[in-house]
Amino acid sequence: MPPGLRINAVAFISAQNHPIIVRTFSAQDETAIKYHYIAHTSLDVIEERVNAAGGKSTDCYLGLLYAMEDVAVYGYITPLKVKIVLALALSDSVVRDVEINMIFKALHMAYYSSISNPFLTHSDTSDSSQDGSRTLTVGSTKWKNFRRRIDEITRVVGSPSTTSVG
Amino acid sequence: MALQRKSVIVSYAASPSFLSSPTWDQLKQTLLSQLPLRNIHWKTPSRTSIRTIQELDISLVPLDTIRDELASQVPATLLEKPLLNLYFVTCENTDLELYRTTIKRQIKEWHATVSNRKNQEWIILHVIRPDAKIPSGAFFQLKGSVLDKLKADFNTDKRDRCVQLIWSTNPSMWGEFITKLKDGILSAFDSAVTQREDEVRRSESQRQMPGWNFCTFFILKESLASSFEGVNLCDEALLQYDELEASFYQALKEKNLSWFGVLISPAPKDDSNPLLSLSKKPYRDMILANTITVFDFRIYLLTRQCQLLAQSGRITEVCKKTGAFLGAFGRRLREVEKDLPRFFLQSWIYSSALSVVEQCDSWASNLSEAQLAVFNAGKGELVELARSQLDLIGMHIGFLPQSPPFSSVWVPILSSSEPSTTKISNTQILTALDSEDAFYSLYTHTTTRAIDLYANAGRRKFALKLHGSLAALELHRGHFDAALTTYNSLPAHYAPHMWTSLECSMLQRALETHSALGKPRNREWIHILLSFLAVYAQSSGADMLVKEEIKAAYISRLVDALKSSASELDSGKPGCSLLLSFFQTLVDLPHPDHPAISVQVSPTATLARIKDGSYLEATIHNRLPCALPIEEISVILSGKDADRQRFSVTANSLNPGASKVTLFCPTSNAGTYLLESSEIRMSRLLFNWIYRKPSTNKVPRLTKSSNMLVRIPRDLLAFDVQLRQPPRVEFGQSPTIIVAVSTGRNEVSKAVIRLSAPSVIFDCQDVSLFENDSTEAEFTLEHIILHNLSRSKTVELLVPHSDVSGFNALTISIEVDYVTADESSITRTLKVPRVISTSLPISVNVEDFFRGKQLFSKFTVSTLSHQHVRIASVLLEPPDLDTSGLKVVTSSPRKRNIMSHRYNQHIFCFRSDQTDQARFALAVWYNLSDFIPVRDPLTLDVKYRMLREEVESVIDRAIDEVLADLPEWHMHKTALHAKFIEMLESDASWVEIYTISGELNVPGKIEISEELRDPVEKVKEILRAHQHPESPHGPWHEIRIPVDVPSMTIVAAARIELRTKSPHLYAGQPISAVLSIHTTFHWGPNLNDKERQYTMQYDVEEMVKEWLVSGKKRGNFSAMDDTIFSVPITLVALHHGEFALPRVVVTALPLTDEMTMGSMAIPSTETCQVHGAEKVLILPRGGRSTFVLDMGST
Repeated sequence: MPPGLRINAVAFISAQNHPIIVRTFSAQDETAIKYHYIAHTSLDVIEERVNAAGGKSTDCYLGLLYAMEDVAVYGYITPLKVKIVLALALSDSVVRDVEINMIFKALHMAYYSSISNPFLTHSDTSDSSQDGSRTLTVGSTKWKNFRRRIDEITRVVGSPSTTSVG
Repeated sequence: MALQRKSVIVSYAASPSFLSSPTWDQLKQTLLSQLPLRNIHWKTPSRTSIRTIQELDISLVPLDTIRDELASQVPATLLEKPLLNLYFVTCENTDLELYRTTIKRQIKEWHATVSNRKNQEWIILHVIRPDAKIPSGAFFQLKGSVLDKLKADFNTDKRDRCVQLIWSTNPSMWGEFITKLKDGILSAFDSAVTQREDEVRRSESQRQMPGWNFCTFFILKESLASSFEGVNLCDEALLQYDELEASFYQALKEKNLSWFGVLISPAPKDDSNPLLSLSKKPYRDMILANTITVFDFRIYLLTRQCQLLAQSGRITEVCKKTGAFLGAFGRRLREVEKDLPRFFLQSWIYSSALSVVEQCDSWASNLSEAQLAVFNAGKGELVELARSQLDLIGMHIGFLPQSPPFSSVWVPILSSSEPSTTKISNTQILTALDSEDAFYSLYTHTTTRAIDLYANAGRRKFALKLHGSLAALELHRGHFDAALTTYNSLPAHYAPHMWTSLECSMLQRALETHSALGKPRNREWIHILLSFLAVYAQSSGADMLVKEEIKAAYISRLVDALKSSASELDSGKPGCSLLLSFFQTLVDLPHPDHPAISVQVSPTATLARIKDGSYLEATIHNRLPCALPIEEISVILSGKDADRQRFSVTANSLNPGASKVTLFCPTSNAGTYLLESSEIRMSRLLFNWIYRKPSTNKVPRLTKSSNMLVRIPRDLLAFDVQLRQPPRVEFGQSPTIIVAVSTGRNEVSKAVIRLSAPSVIFDCQDVSLFENDSTEAEFTLEHIILHNLSRSKTVELLVPHSDVSGFNALTISIEVDYVTADESSITRTLKVPRVISTSLPISVNVEDFFRGKQLFSKFTVSTLSHQHVRIASVLLEPPDLDTSGLKVVTSSPRKRNIMSHRYNQHIFCFRSDQTDQARFALAVWYNLSDFIPVRDPLTLDVKYRMLREEVESVIDRAIDEVLADLPEWHMHKTALHAKFIEMLESDASWVEIYTISGELNVPGKIEISEELRDPVEKVKEILRAHQHPESPHGPWHEIRIPVDVPSMTIVAAARIELRTKSPHLYAGQPISAVLSIHTTFHWGPNLNDKERQYTMQYDVEEMVKEWLVSGKKRGNFSAMDDTIFSVPITLVALHHGEFALPRVVVTALPLTDEMTMGSMAIPSTETCQVHGAEKVLILPRGGRSTFVLDMGST
């Protein structure tokens, strides 16, 4: 029983609930849609959590959103309302919130450093006429670097040696 | 293990006689009525904060029923033993004697047994009756009361454990006792807990030692938890279990599960029993016996936790906890799945999830709305978990396909190779396994239940997902209609937030369903496909979840299908009536704003040069990975006044990416246009994009770049229609305009002209060709048709229309459909609005002077515009010389010169005569006898032209002159003309010199293209040498104004004639004179009526500085036609000098016999002063002389 956490998918969702990126790490191509569903449905739970806190909560980490089938879904909302959804492979062991929170913090930083590239937003001119706010298309090629960072975080989390750090 | 009694035990004792008395029963009843205890605050050093026990029940038991057995080694709850012992004392407070003799001994005995017990407290309650009289002597008694004695005897430490109860009906009497009771219980509980916690801690610290047993530890710690639960401290109890769980996980991590039995040894009904039930197995005994399986142990732990959660009202957490447990532990069990009966795991999760939902429903009460939503969401998750087990089972037994969305939960189910004897016991699943229909109905039922729960919880997105899976089931079962309906409705939910991947998948499935349904590829199919392509284009296919290489092929196959179905679209089944198909041809399938394609146009159009029309460059972006078969691309530009230009090109296909196309519009209207829309046609399918946003756009951000302007340059050689005013304007006749049709470079075989303007009617039937042309023309009621016009030809048509005097300018929209001989297949439509000024540049005023039988009319012609107007001639024409008897003599037949803001006056002399030729304007008398009054109006004819027209004609002539020698420049004629006009417009310095001399110095600051340079220089030369000709050339405008001959009833001529012989007149000298007034009715209605008389009044005006008038200077007279009334007057000049004679005012008096409109009519009169121009020289008087004045008679 490997004690390391296995990340199945990471999803970034914008403040307007548009998907920014849905990155899946499962082998099967077919099941990718499942994680899109998970990202989408998580929005409901995130909304519930945020409303329950009454907007006063300053904590970004939302904890376990729900466990479904073989994944446990965790949520995180940045101060600018970008939601990060993490789908972990469900395992019969204790998952500490601190660890998850750390993963989220790392993902948040990855997003932050990618978004702060000023050229990222202006390169996509063909779509800007439709909606000025929508600058980040899903899976845009400009996000290569961002994807690489996410992949790296996943890899680090997945390797058992580092889990003890959390 | 049965649910524990939620109470603490308190023992009581008293003297046997009291216990058997009815008083005791009474007392016990009132005491019980005070229970349970409320708000007990437990403060203990081991906890940071005060725990509050809301409510605590107490069971009173007699002391002797409690046996202090030590039979069981199993640590039980701390509440099994009494926490407090009570002793009731009943004797008079003063009855010390009784106390000393018997009671004290009894208490002593009780105290000895009780105080030795561990973790137990005791209280002595002294009950007295309030009505017991205190003996009078008691006041002086110094021995004290029984209570004092009790306290003195038994209170060993600081704690006061003796209470007196004055027994009355007042419930407040219990107050002190209850407080003591709480204190006692708490202190006993506290010490018991502390002791037990110490034990637990000790046991935990020995964890690593050999011989330590997790199960024993568990039971020990659990006793603590059940104690907390017993006093209603659920949170504390839960904490214990949570710690136990953590410690279990610790053991798990250390892989040290030797204290347990196997992971699972499935009992017959394990998979179907309710999860949260403690009664189904003797869990505690199994734990004690170290035989419990991990499976059972985990269930037991979970159940206890859930029970406690439910007790503390945290029911929503139960769902979450069980859900996570089933998932997590289910995974663990999968390791041993092959040892389990087939589908045991799925059945277990399914039954457990559903049983938890039922259990929760029974626990739940008084949930707030927010809680209820969370609760529903939790239940929804559980039901969905159960549903996903059905997915698994279904896939394995082949009732469901192993493909998304079902396969998202796919795991291979391992089952033992040999047929196992044990089977799962869930009846629902067993029936479902047997029959497909039962399975499907169970599946649908469970899903619907989850959807309902999610809907109640407000989790729309979860519900959507499940709807999608239901549709997938319908699809699998072949219920295509139902599936299609769902799939069609779902994408709209994903679209607004651009979950393109999900939307895409839904649309893809809808397409698949549609084809599976075998439906014809109709409009619906096209719509689905188009929205699929739209989503694809928007996301640039990134999230299609389809492999890259398949993608392009897939899309292009779809596009081909689209093309073929679009062409088949409504082409009609055989046997369709002609009418129907006619209507269908009208019905294209427009699809607005498809994002897969976009059209951008260049801001300037270029002229075709060799034919009418212009080209427009456009860039088309195709965002699909494959070429798009299309037929036509068109762009519509809109100009002012609903002017539309349609540019189009036919194309076969549109390659992926950007492609440039050149669109052509056969008519060329110059101007600036707004890009209105663009269209791409794929047989019957019409993609269109509207660029022009409605003006009331709420989002200003969007409008900023949305309006795109396109400039179309002017084509000087194109077919054109211009309007101008006709050269001859006649007032009083139906007004006309000239429509000048110029063919330019085209040989026009047919042109149909339509004119329209608001509130003006054009009489196309009465159109005539201006300047009798040989053009073939047809005039119908609505349009004018011209045939076979040659190149560079201008046809002018005179079009009469209704009155437009109300307007200054008229906007006429002209629509011409013309066909050129070169391209007979194309009907070009020129649709232009043209403005024509309907006001005239000059105005004419008239002033009349009557002189006997003559009439002088002064016509004043003045310009109305800022422009110079040249007047060629002004003529007054009598209507018909033979009948009118009127002779017009023009004062000046010569032309007058150019004028600007100046008046030009023409005086005409009318002579009313029929026989004599008039030679003089003013001195002819006429025979009146047979004069016939003139009724027909005369006509004033003014010939004029504007300076601009004159200059243009000068230029034209100069150009013609140049081109006559150089025919190779002929094609530049129009361009040259336009260039000169442009040059003259740029600067006004030439005007003054031209006005004076006629030389036209063309300012030359405009850039001239190479080919025009030489001709321009040549023409300039000619223009510089130009002089005003003696008789002006060129066209003139003509205005014909009807002029009525004015009428005047009485024309009077007054004359003062001096009657003096002496040639010298001196100041102060009386001069006799005759005032004679000649009257004539020649210009009035009573022309030949000799009998007609009018009463007139005359009045010689006072000129007090010059003349003294004596005589009858004012009076009435009767006037007849052509008679003279005379009266003598005497004038005296007051000083010397030369001055005019006084004026005479003659007025007609009101008619006595004629009444007009109730008032007296005054006949019109005009008087002229015959002597008006005469002056009299008065000499100064020298010397003195005496006059004798005849006073005269009046």
